[in-house]
Amino acid sequence: MLGAPSVYRWSRLAPALLVLLSGCASIPPSVGELPYSERAIELEDTPFYPQERYQCGPAALTTVLEKSGATVLLDEVVEKVYLPGRQGSLQFELMGATRTEGRLPYAIDGSLAAVWRELEMGRPVLVLQNLGVAAIPRWHYAVVVGIDAERGEIVLRSGTDRRRVTPIRTFLHTWRRGDYWGMVALVPGELPADADRSRYLQAVAALEQTGRVEEAALAWRAALGQWPGDTVALFGLANAQLALQDFAAAEASYRDLLQRDAGLLAARNNLAVALSEQGKYGAAITEIELALAENRDPELEEALRDTQATIRRRTAGAER
Amino acid sequence: MRLVSVSIVCMGFAQAAPAGVIGTSYMLDEESRAASLSRIEVLLARDDVGKQLEAFGVERAMVVERLNGLSHAELLELEGQLDSQVAGGDIVALIGAVFVVLLILELVGVTDIFKSF
Repeated sequence: MLGAPSVYRWSRLAPALLVLLSGCASIPPSVGELPYSERAIELEDTPFYPQERYQCGPAALTTVLEKSGATVLLDEVVEKVYLPGRQGSLQFELMGATRTEGRLPYAIDGSLAAVWRELEMGRPVLVLQNLGVAAIPRWHYAVVVGIDAERGEIVLRSGTDRRRVTPIRTFLHTWRRGDYWGMVALVPGELPADADRSRYLQAVAALEQTGRVEEAALAWRAALGQWPGDTVALFGLANAQLALQDFAAAEASYRDLLQRDAGLLAARNNLAVALSEQGKYGAAITEIELALAENRDPELEEALRDTQATIRRRTAGAER
Repeated sequence: MRLVSVSIVCMGFAQAAPAGVIGTSYMLDEESRAASLSRIEVLLARDDVGKQLEAFGVERAMVVERLNGLSHAELLELEGQLDSQVAGGDIVALIGAVFVVLLILELVGVTDIFKSF
């Protein structure tokens, strides 16, 4: 548990981080409302890792990762997310470690209804609680595995308790002090129960940036299933195809995108790259020059010029 | 502009992608930047705001033009200031907030809006 005095040092920093990471600190009005008040749900087969000392973050993360079907070892997760000096783990590190295990971390809406719907999808929810008070916070990660609306209870994998049952009211107090932060580990291709378009696309873009291109491709396809023709998701899929060196598919995707919106100069830049990779240098030069002629953004200009220079070098190399 | 340039520099794919590819987050940044800008422009288009700007001797079109030069992060900051002031409903405070933010941006050398007054 996070109880030792040394925890307080980093705890003072944590609220600032929370605000930065969560973006929206407001209290959702529907936080205590449940979609189906007459029912109870519990994911009994969720694994359990009793935490050793302060390692509630790694234990909770290992729990949700394993439930998602990932093969993980607690010790390895500890190495990735545990900060010995602070005797705790930071949220963004939990999300980062989720990505390195090939899962897509998604921060859910901060409401009990959102937790309920994730449980219905078979996904336990990793939550950040503050078990202390504002002046002396005790940050704690736990995993929600069940809600019993009739009894007004929450079931958690928490600390050394395989099945800690807490009144919903109490849980909401501790969760509120954790800024209602909660995440699920999605298998790439799965959508969250309440998919917020912008948040989901940001999550996939982060997965792409860590080089998990195959997983990102699956996630972009899932996004296109949910939001057909979405420009960002199409761009993402095309970029994934390019990174997977499926240049013909990438070319087709970029052309599809430009058909929808000819002003997407980043897409035109990448189309030029896809063409150049296939040895279609003439067409590549045409596209990049078209993009340069239309561009008014000085920052993008730099990237376009770089691409132009790269294509020219390759053309010269091919002619030699 | 700074945020945008960062997203171009760390263009996504760590290993696999060929040189020159622009990552998907670039388009996401552009999108949220455009959304911020249009929300601020809606505010600036209000009559009471326009009168106040006039009282300060500032042309609205010029303010909009300057806003276009701000980075995504700066726009978000400005928008945050505006939102908190609008929630309070005090139009003079709202205008004050705009100028405070612009003044900060001026001081850190991001914009030179005050040089043209």
